[in-house]
Amino acid sequence: MLKIKSTIAISDSGFVFDAGTGDSFSLNNTGLEIVRLIKEGKDFPEIIQKVSEKYEVDEESFERYYYDFVATLNQLNLIEKDGED
Amino acid sequence: MSKLTFERPIIQRINAGLPSKYGMPRRLDPISHIDGTSIKSLLDEFGSPLFVISEQTIRKTYKEAHRAFSSRYPNVQFSWSYKTNYLNAVCNVFHQEGAWAEVVSGFEYQKAIENGVPGELIIFNGPDKSTDDLRLAIENNSLIHIDHFDELYELIHLSKEMGERPKVAIRVNMDTGFYPLWDRFGFNFENGEAWDALNRVMASKTLDLLGLHTHIGTYILSTDGYRIAAEKLASLAVKLEKKYGHVLKYIDLGGGFASKNTLRGAYYPGTDTAPSFDDFAEAITSALMSSEIKPDHLPMLILETGRAMIDEAGFLAGSVLATKRLADGRRATIIDVGVNILFTSFWYDHDIRPVEAVSDQSEDTTIYGPLCMNIDVIRGNIMFPLLKKGDHFVIRRVGAYNMTQWMQFITLRPNVIMLDSKGKPHLIRKKESLETINSLENTPEHLKNFEL
Ligand SMILES: Cc1ncc(COP(=O)(O)O)c(C=O)c1O
Repeated sequence: MLKIKSTIAISDSGFVFDAGTGDSFSLNNTGLEIVRLIKEGKDFPEIIQKVSEKYEVDEESFERYYYDFVATLNQLNLIEKDGED
Repeated sequence: MSKLTFERPIIQRINAGLPSKYGMPRRLDPISHIDGTSIKSLLDEFGSPLFVISEQTIRKTYKEAHRAFSSRYPNVQFSWSYKTNYLNAVCNVFHQEGAWAEVVSGFEYQKAIENGVPGELIIFNGPDKSTDDLRLAIENNSLIHIDHFDELYELIHLSKEMGERPKVAIRVNMDTGFYPLWDRFGFNFENGEAWDALNRVMASKTLDLLGLHTHIGTYILSTDGYRIAAEKLASLAVKLEKKYGHVLKYIDLGGGFASKNTLRGAYYPGTDTAPSFDDFAEAITSALMSSEIKPDHLPMLILETGRAMIDEAGFLAGSVLATKRLADGRRATIIDVGVNILFTSFWYDHDIRPVEAVSDQSEDTTIYGPLCMNIDVIRGNIMFPLLKKGDHFVIRRVGAYNMTQWMQFITLRPNVIMLDSKGKPHLIRKKESLETINSLENTPEHLKNFEL
């Protein structure tokens, strides 16, 4: 399962700080919601359900955005490496 | 309860406001219209990709350039450099504005004639003029710019054989402090070869020496190079008058002014670094006016400005084919425009913009063309908004050299349209079809059939 690194603090405004590296990032609203859902330990089917309750988005688009977004989190070193499946 | 619209999730690194190697990140504003006409509607009507030329911008640029020189010098003539863009509609806008034609091959020469340019207003440059080309140019009283001694002697022979007096100029190359030296064209100034050639022309008695020509290079950012070039040509004119009492009709300083495109890897954008027409005009005209040429013998000043005259008027619009991630995680966007039709992406970091308004978020992106080749990169490392398949983009300042150097490779060359002064589109070059290509081919009888 996906796990956000434990050194990472996330503010309500979407400001992300990695205490391990000193890097900071900003999330847009949907990015923030998804990161929170990941932090809560939700998996993809749960996340897509949550999101489509609230937003107008078709499943295929969401799936593409989601995996692209997770790839970016990975690239930015925000995902626990040994936390991956 | 109606649902909210979903914005694509995005995360971005915050760079503590420090300028990166590429300067402060700049927002790429979308460009949705050209001269008031919607790019999206043009793509719907004429297909993607599509070259769009703004007639209004050509005329405006021409007038600007002409004013810069004619407000400083009594006798100025522009000559449209065909190689830069020889679509007939484009040439004719320049001819309507008053430009002569500058050509460098028999093909370009014929094009100018067919466009209706009078032979005596065609400047024939370059090392490649066949005997037939020269004959025709002599008959038409065109201005033949001699590139090498072989051509000079051939002209002397032809003048005798035809009983005509060809109108000629000598092309001079020189050190203007700008490198590389373009010393493969014409006769060198510093080593005395140009002066030798002029003496040879004067001695022939059968050639009518009208002018001096130089073209010091291309995409030149230094106005000083032009000052030096003008001074050196003026000194030759003075020497000719002293020795032979011969007064030249014109001095031709060629092309080469930088356009506002940004060279690949340049730190500052071309919009900041390219001198204005006024800057170039000031350098050139003040050098001529303060030379020892007698005021009443000041020759016509000819300019063959190419890229700075047309780059701005050309746009290339197209569509996103796909987005993907590279092995290192960076974003790649694949578009339907490759280096085959956008040759200048080898030189320039082209200004590419989304057509539709997209999110403010951008990402370090490499923009690839559709060709199955590694060299097919339109922009490396650009902070670019996230576009998706089917979204449109437009590339600015592509008017020079692309529509002449484009290659038919893997795909076909697209439609080219010109927006007239009211923004109305006119198809000025039809897109190629399989038929266009196959009509030039011939399959021998024994290769027509096969069984698989
Ligand atoms: C003889 C001559 N004149 C004019 C030009 C136009 O040059 P530019 O597009 O740099 O203004 C060229 C381009 O190579 C040229 O060779």
